[in-house]
Amino acid sequence: MDAAEYLDLLLKALLLAGVYAAMAVGMTVVYGVMKIVNLAHAGFLMLGAYFSFELFNRFHINPVLGAVIALPVFFLFGMLVHWLLVRWLPKSDTPTLASLLLMFGFWLVLQNLAYAKWGNDDQSIFTPLTLSAVHIGDTISIPKVNLVVFAAAVFCMVVLQIVFHRSWFGRSMRALIQNPYGAQIVGVDDQRTARLTFGLGTAFAGFAGALLGMLYSFSPDFGRPFLLRSFVIIVLGGLESVSGVALGAIVLAILETFSTVIPFPWYHQGWKTYYLPPSYQPVIPFVLLVVVLVIMPKGLAGLFNRKWKTA
Amino acid sequence: MTLPQNLSGWLKLVLPWLLFVALLLLPVTSPSDNVIRLLFLTAVYSTAGLGWNLLGGMAGQVSFGFAVFFGLGSYTTALLMHAGHSPYFGFVGGAAIAMLASFFIGLPTFRLRGPYFVIATIGVTEAVRVIMNNLEITGGASGYRIIEDKPFNPLEHYYTAIVAVALAVLVSAIIANSKFGLALRAIKQDQDAAADLGVNPYTSKLWIHAIAAGLTGIAGGIYARRAGFFYPGDVFAFQTGINILLIPVIGGVGTIWGPVLGGVIFIIVEETISAKYQDFHLLIYGALLMLIVLVEPGGLIKSKRLWAGMGRLLVGLFTGTTWKALFALLQKLLRKLRFLKPQRIEGKT
Amino acid sequence: MKILEVENLTKYFGGVAALKDVSFDIPQKQICGFIGPNGAGKTTLFSVITGAHRPSAGKVQLHGKDVTGMDAASLVKKGVARTHQVVRPFKAMTVIENVQLAVHYGRRAVTRTSAAREHAMEALKLVSLDHKAPLMASTLSLGEQKRLEVARALATAPELLLLDEICGGLTGAETQAMMELLHRVREGGTTIMYVEHDMKAIMAVCDRITVLNFGQKLAEGKPEDIQNDASVIEAYLGKSDFGGKKRA
Repeated sequence: MDAAEYLDLLLKALLLAGVYAAMAVGMTVVYGVMKIVNLAHAGFLMLGAYFSFELFNRFHINPVLGAVIALPVFFLFGMLVHWLLVRWLPKSDTPTLASLLLMFGFWLVLQNLAYAKWGNDDQSIFTPLTLSAVHIGDTISIPKVNLVVFAAAVFCMVVLQIVFHRSWFGRSMRALIQNPYGAQIVGVDDQRTARLTFGLGTAFAGFAGALLGMLYSFSPDFGRPFLLRSFVIIVLGGLESVSGVALGAIVLAILETFSTVIPFPWYHQGWKTYYLPPSYQPVIPFVLLVVVLVIMPKGLAGLFNRKWKTA
Repeated sequence: MTLPQNLSGWLKLVLPWLLFVALLLLPVTSPSDNVIRLLFLTAVYSTAGLGWNLLGGMAGQVSFGFAVFFGLGSYTTALLMHAGHSPYFGFVGGAAIAMLASFFIGLPTFRLRGPYFVIATIGVTEAVRVIMNNLEITGGASGYRIIEDKPFNPLEHYYTAIVAVALAVLVSAIIANSKFGLALRAIKQDQDAAADLGVNPYTSKLWIHAIAAGLTGIAGGIYARRAGFFYPGDVFAFQTGINILLIPVIGGVGTIWGPVLGGVIFIIVEETISAKYQDFHLLIYGALLMLIVLVEPGGLIKSKRLWAGMGRLLVGLFTGTTWKALFALLQKLLRKLRFLKPQRIEGKT
Repeated sequence: MKILEVENLTKYFGGVAALKDVSFDIPQKQICGFIGPNGAGKTTLFSVITGAHRPSAGKVQLHGKDVTGMDAASLVKKGVARTHQVVRPFKAMTVIENVQLAVHYGRRAVTRTSAAREHAMEALKLVSLDHKAPLMASTLSLGEQKRLEVARALATAPELLLLDEICGGLTGAETQAMMELLHRVREGGTTIMYVEHDMKAIMAVCDRITVLNFGQKLAEGKPEDIQNDASVIEAYLGKSDFGGKKRA
């Protein structure tokens, strides 16, 4: 592996990080504001992919445009789901089992509806972009799809950053994230903010799902591996900032991408260097999750904050 | 043991034994092979569900990863039988391996609380499934076949399963009434307050996890032996772990008979729905789960309205109130549709 | 004989020092009171000693053996029990089950449920809650829940009992009954560390008092001395223009 190959991998990892971040952001806001672990996030991702798929196949709409269209559609959808189901959950400032099971049940329902409509087969969205790539030098080749998806993901996060820090709604969200009771006392309408937040989270999920549909093939079971990754990113990056999500996404993406090329010693009839077989890759998010949760429960931010003593 | 005070107490004590004896004697009536198969599956899944209930219902630690123990039970039993041992030794071996695995899984994950723990268990299933898919000793993704010299005897499998579920119920009852059960309930409600009274939540969770895993492993072994062939995508599937979770939650999380009820419902749904409307079972489970969470978190067994309603209906069938109510309803309906003329009061024009 | 020695105990929460270099000894079979304005660090002190939080620095010794940062369950087995300022009963269990748990897992380590229930009833009698034994803990009033906390802690048969504001919400008569209970507990050989805001109660029952303010030890001594200590008065009431005159 020479420098160019490493660079190629690094770039791919960064692009992947962008996608992961977009995907995790939806789950992060819902978790932070409402303390709900939204397992149905996987279902929304999957629906986003199918949404863009349908638009592409029926109306020949460019998938990227489809993803943008998904934003308002899924925003409304999310608000509807909140109004119908989520608002009945008992409020708590720590995540409850009831919320987990409710969203999980809803995810099962979404999966089944998808099965009924589209069947079990893997689908993909192929555009002229999918097969072409940008070449730098001899070794570095980046599929154009990844670039487009990355750009869209970055856009998404910038929007969120603006909403978070420069709007009334964003401030309500941050207040609820930091101190739910205190926020209510000062007059933040937690029901309305929760509804809007859920809508926002769903919108981002639909958006990310549509983008992911361009990169990977999908079936109704699509969201599951991404659920775990989203949660790892949340735990790594903390809840309060978009940059935290970005950082978490970068760490995860780099670890995943480079896992197959970092040699590690292992004893098997003598010390040898091994490379992780690609089929073991799905284990990485899980291992990372356990490691992070056990060692740094507050995420990367906790690791840095411990050194600070301002008094 | 104190004697029951009233009718319902006696019923609670006697009915399970009656049920057990009835199930033992059932083959005398020469039921069809399908009935035996259904009862077998119900018992197997109820056993796994009862196991999960120990950890998730009594101790309040919801794990999505019990497919691991089910699968480990299957594979261990298969491998031990392949090496020439009796199937029953295989079941015990399956339980033992599952319990061992539960320690390895619990050691890091039980430091986590609430949903962090749940998410970690989701990851566990995935990780184990990937690993089992890649291992050669167990046949990898293509699965494993158990070969038995004896001819297929459905009754033997049936009785094994009945004994297993009875064992699971017994274990659940013993734990629930012991000091350990009290500690688990305390951990479920307020782990730190329990620690302040001398309960060590970490080790308690590890122990109950082991017992739960053992029961689930036995269920997996029994299942595998009858199935004869299985593969990681089946026994280690995420869906299997979900089923094991759904059964006690829908039936009645934290109770002893809830998982059994859940097992019955599960098999009914599987058989009726899977036959006619393929792949709608997820919808049913999802909807049931949502309903349970929003309406009756204690599970169907706790639903007083359900049982009271059914009881009233049954009683009414005999005393005529049901018929009267139905008749009144029919009258109202017919009147609305104008098939019956409303009574006119004499003298008014 | 010192049962507990605390040396330079410090606890930071982020940048805030909840406890700073707090040192004191607890002699056996005494009732030692801890007072101080709100936010002085009294509950944090208890939490750090009983293992709910690890200290940032400092040492805690029980009978000369280091128990700094030991977890709560192990400390209970060693004979240290506490109540909580914000009561934490097990609401889905009955009153007697709440106490029964403590009997099972406390220092007595009783295994048989029937024996445990008997001990539990004794503890409930001490706090006058035995008539409510079969009821769900959620049905108790706040004052009763506080007494349940005390019964639970007592049921672990502790050598050292840490009580955190058990008189909050109690009537005068109930407070009196509680103080008598504390005396009886001390006669039984238990040492008590007691945090309280109710001045009448704590001055009446304690053998010695330690005052905390802003996480640091302010004063220590007999109740009468503390009442007249200028720095304590200043901490609670602020500086007076009269210049250090004695207050009644």
